[in-house]
Amino acid sequence: MIGTIAAREIRSGLVTPLLWVLLGVGQVVLAWIFLQVVEDFSALDAGERSASLTQELCVNLFGFAAVLAMFAAPLLAMRMLSAEFRDGGYDLLAAAPARLIEILLGKFIALAVLITPLCLLPAANLALLSGAATLDLGQVAAATLGLWLAALFFGAIGLQASSLTEQPGAAVLIAFGLLLLFSIIGRAESLTAQTLSLFGWLSWNEHLFRFLLGAVRLSDLAYFLFFTGFFLALAHRHLANRRLQ
Amino acid sequence: METLLRVTDLSRDFGRHSALSGVDLCLERGQVLGLLGPNGAGKTTCLRLLSGLLAPTSGRIEILGLDLVRRPLAAKRHLGYLPERPPLHPELRVDEYLTHCAHLHRLPRRAIPEAIATAKQRCGLEDQGRRLIAKLSRGYRQRLGLAQAILHRPPLLILDEPTEGLDPVQMRELRGLIRDLAQDSGIILSSHLLPEVQSVCDRVMILHQGRVRFDAETRTARPTNLWRVRLGGETHVMHLNDLAPVAGALAIGPNQFQVDLRAEATSADLARAILLAGLELFELTPERSDLERTFFDLIGAEEHA
Repeated sequence: MIGTIAAREIRSGLVTPLLWVLLGVGQVVLAWIFLQVVEDFSALDAGERSASLTQELCVNLFGFAAVLAMFAAPLLAMRMLSAEFRDGGYDLLAAAPARLIEILLGKFIALAVLITPLCLLPAANLALLSGAATLDLGQVAAATLGLWLAALFFGAIGLQASSLTEQPGAAVLIAFGLLLLFSIIGRAESLTAQTLSLFGWLSWNEHLFRFLLGAVRLSDLAYFLFFTGFFLALAHRHLANRRLQ
Repeated sequence: METLLRVTDLSRDFGRHSALSGVDLCLERGQVLGLLGPNGAGKTTCLRLLSGLLAPTSGRIEILGLDLVRRPLAAKRHLGYLPERPPLHPELRVDEYLTHCAHLHRLPRRAIPEAIATAKQRCGLEDQGRRLIAKLSRGYRQRLGLAQAILHRPPLLILDEPTEGLDPVQMRELRGLIRDLAQDSGIILSSHLLPEVQSVCDRVMILHQGRVRFDAETRTARPTNLWRVRLGGETHVMHLNDLAPVAGALAIGPNQFQVDLRAEATSADLARAILLAGLELFELTPERSDLERTFFDLIGAEEHA
């Protein structure tokens, strides 16, 4: 059942232009950043270089790709629940012999599959350098994994926002609001004592940054997986409540 | 006969507003039940409850003896549902959509092509398989909605305003299809059109403000030989009772009478007898059945409100 629902969502995602527009626009901007980083790096003498080329590229390219995924995930998620509530397509699933968890996981897996090409774009750009420069492949792999986990986290927030309302526009705004909060919450740390690191821990960019530096830590993995599960559980709660409202 | 659906004391509140209260019904295989009522009477709420989209505030729904709240998956396997707006995905093609629906209803993989072909043929969609749903007209979308509901040959079929958006020819075809489907399943359909329900349903239930106001088989609700007449001048009910074709007459207003004719008499006999008796005949109309009277009284109440 999960596979049936996911396959339909993936098919719908591939035959509508949204994903392709996101990929196209993303690639244009990533290519520009890629060019700039390589140019800046090659203009410096060996002694002036403070970080390796892989590091420079990972931080800049993957960092921007994460921002792109932050915009893409709510847009892809909005039509999976919110637009289906509005257009009546959700009634098909609700009247079918399918569990809510199956519906939700089907949609989340489809979202994960649809957003994966976006997460592979920076690595595809780096592949252009494979013959010309020596890259730290381990670091690129860690950065790609981090970006993908962050995209899953954004997707879970997107689905949760999408389950709240029948207005896709409102769903996207709610998701952006939540994601912005998770982005800037780390700054609150500077307002309070330096030792209080809870806000810093809540912010996703801190965790992604370690992946971009090539460090895959269990605590960072746990952060993304925990919040992905948390927002999916909230979305499940909302879907269950729809029958009661 | 096998009982497909049993509903006991079903109620549903939205906040303080009670959308449906105290509905009891029982549907047998081969029966077509029409839910009739003005807009906002609770028809759609009732059908959404029966198809498991909404949870009841109180009461019990059993589909083939399976409790819809406790065993939703098992119960929904026996259910086909066409909502008010057909639940379509405009970006898919007709065949892709129906295949998806077949998987959702857990049809065995090998049975899917045949099930799709049969559903398309029954709904007149044979040559639409490759078409994009977004490009279909409203009537075709409605047919496709119906095709997904009957795809897995469910014993219980719930249709919310199925003739909405269809032209008169398509409506007639759909009535034929509903009678055809009723041979091996039970069907509940909602409508706000009385003639539609009368023409296709065995049983009618009129809902108004969330309550059942009338529930009877359409055959028994048909009018007997009852007529309504309006006469001129000062006429007493006794004058009518004396006429040969009249079995009994009842005064229902100033110069208005309800007349029950003898079995062999016709309205022409009554008109002739009235004229021969020297009375002035202003109006002679067939009396409405209980069903029609209840429905028009409710609609009238709506209009005056």
